Amino acid sequence: MTQRRNSLWNRHKYKINGLVLILPFYFLYQSLTPKLPEALNTQKIASFEIAPTPFNMEPPYFHDGHYTKDFMLAFSQGNIKDIRQAYLNIGSKALPFTKLQAGDDGILHGNQHSQEVHAIAPAVIKSKHKLWLTIENWQGERMVTSWDLPKELLQP
Amino acid sequence: MEKFSNRFWFQLHGWFSLPIWIIFCFVCLTGTISVVSHELTWLTNPDSRASNPQNLAQKPISELVSIVKKSHPTADVSLVMTFESYLVNAIIFTDKDKENAIAYINQYTGEIQAINVGITFPGFMGALHGWLLFPWQNSYSVGYYLVCAMAIVMLGALITGLIIYKNFWRAFTQPKLRLKQGKKTILADLHRLAGVWSLWFLLLMSLTGLWYLTQAIMWQNNIEVEPHTHLVKIEQLPQAKEKPPVFPITLTDAFSIAEQKFPDFKGTYIMMPEHNRDTYKLYGSGDFIFYDQYAYGVLINPWTGAIESTRAPNKMTAIQTLSHIADPLHYGTIGGIWTKIIWFVFGVLLTGMSITGFLMWGSRTVKASRN
Repeated sequence: MTQRRNSLWNRHKYKINGLVLILPFYFLYQSLTPKLPEALNTQKIASFEIAPTPFNMEPPYFHDGHYTKDFMLAFSQGNIKDIRQAYLNIGSKALPFTKLQAGDDGILHGNQHSQEVHAIAPAVIKSKHKLWLTIENWQGERMVTSWDLPKELLQP
Repeated sequence: MEKFSNRFWFQLHGWFSLPIWIIFCFVCLTGTISVVSHELTWLTNPDSRASNPQNLAQKPISELVSIVKKSHPTADVSLVMTFESYLVNAIIFTDKDKENAIAYINQYTGEIQAINVGITFPGFMGALHGWLLFPWQNSYSVGYYLVCAMAIVMLGALITGLIIYKNFWRAFTQPKLRLKQGKKTILADLHRLAGVWSLWFLLLMSLTGLWYLTQAIMWQNNIEVEPHTHLVKIEQLPQAKEKPPVFPITLTDAFSIAEQKFPDFKGTYIMMPEHNRDTYKLYGSGDFIFYDQYAYGVLINPWTGAIESTRAPNKMTAIQTLSHIADPLHYGTIGGIWTKIIWFVFGVLLTGMSITGFLMWGSRTVKASRN
């Protein structure tokens, strides 16, 4: 058998991997004290008052063949049930409604208390881009509003 | 094989196990607890027990949802989950003052036994075992990869262990556990005996772990296993002049439609439409033993009652089949409580093997350094 030195390193080298297990405790703390980015300003659109909040300040991610950025939408006024369908996209302008309603990309979903959305986004968000919300109500009326995006999300 | 010495295989066995043995041990331990996490909840939380002293029939899920809505008039139910018959059903809802709440409802009596607004023990253990609570970066988690990589380590340790342990099958016919010949002998005998008797379990955990690793790579690369969610055609949504319309197809109707399609359908994971162009998503189990509790699925149009999509074991692709048989084999849910107990016992053995393996190395190191 090879002679081994009873050094500190030799005795403890296989215990170093245990340090990884500190991370779950840190991540547990993080999940119990979530820090969401600041909400964008509240906008009034028809009977609704809505404030979107990005899930994080990371760039859009690629999913199902296109780029997406996740938001939560808090409704301080208006009944979510009055919405027939609504979509969120990031870009220079709101996408045409016929294009939006052809699929479920960027569709608002959730419950009657709050909504979330995987907004249609470009790969890189630039200063010319805004956040566009298009709502259709049950009477067939369509309304559009927009928000400036936080500077932290913009890339040169 | 003879090109390599026993010493080489021994060292390789060590290299597969020793550098990560604490993480491996932790993953085995958390997995072992996860197997019986529902039962531990049953033992420690009386509200989770579906007591049925009067031997009542199980109430339909739609009736349980109505009970929650009646009790919490502003609640919006999004999901219903059912478990083993001795556990209550979980109805997940949001309310004005609750972002995400779970009603523990007794499916026999209809009594709401508790409202939980935090993480559940099985949920916590599942996340701790599955990805060590590492955050998800949209479609991947470093922790998930780390845990899945243990499958490679386990398979490597299993193969090299069998090469080192000549005539290992004798451990079945002539099991050897020498308790009076010193610590080193006890450890070696325990390690070998547990290893040989756990061969099937080690292989099962390694193979299902390798599947989870493949699945993680597919998730990260946007390779879909299940077809994309169906969207209700815009023409099928009504126009309304005053009040917003309600879905003409109720949850009760949706269950009738699902049960017509699959007579053995037992709902286990029921999702309400999340928007007006979404469907009822009824997932459940049926009469295929090795498949998980989501192996059957019926997506129902809430405006027309049309079945938009179905899922069943006999219609699955090879990849879909793997994704639906991995969990029952990994967590031992195939035969209810009895297989869970077997999986738990072998989980304890596996956890113990990582400890005895390290202690064997430790005693050799100390002895070698003394010499």
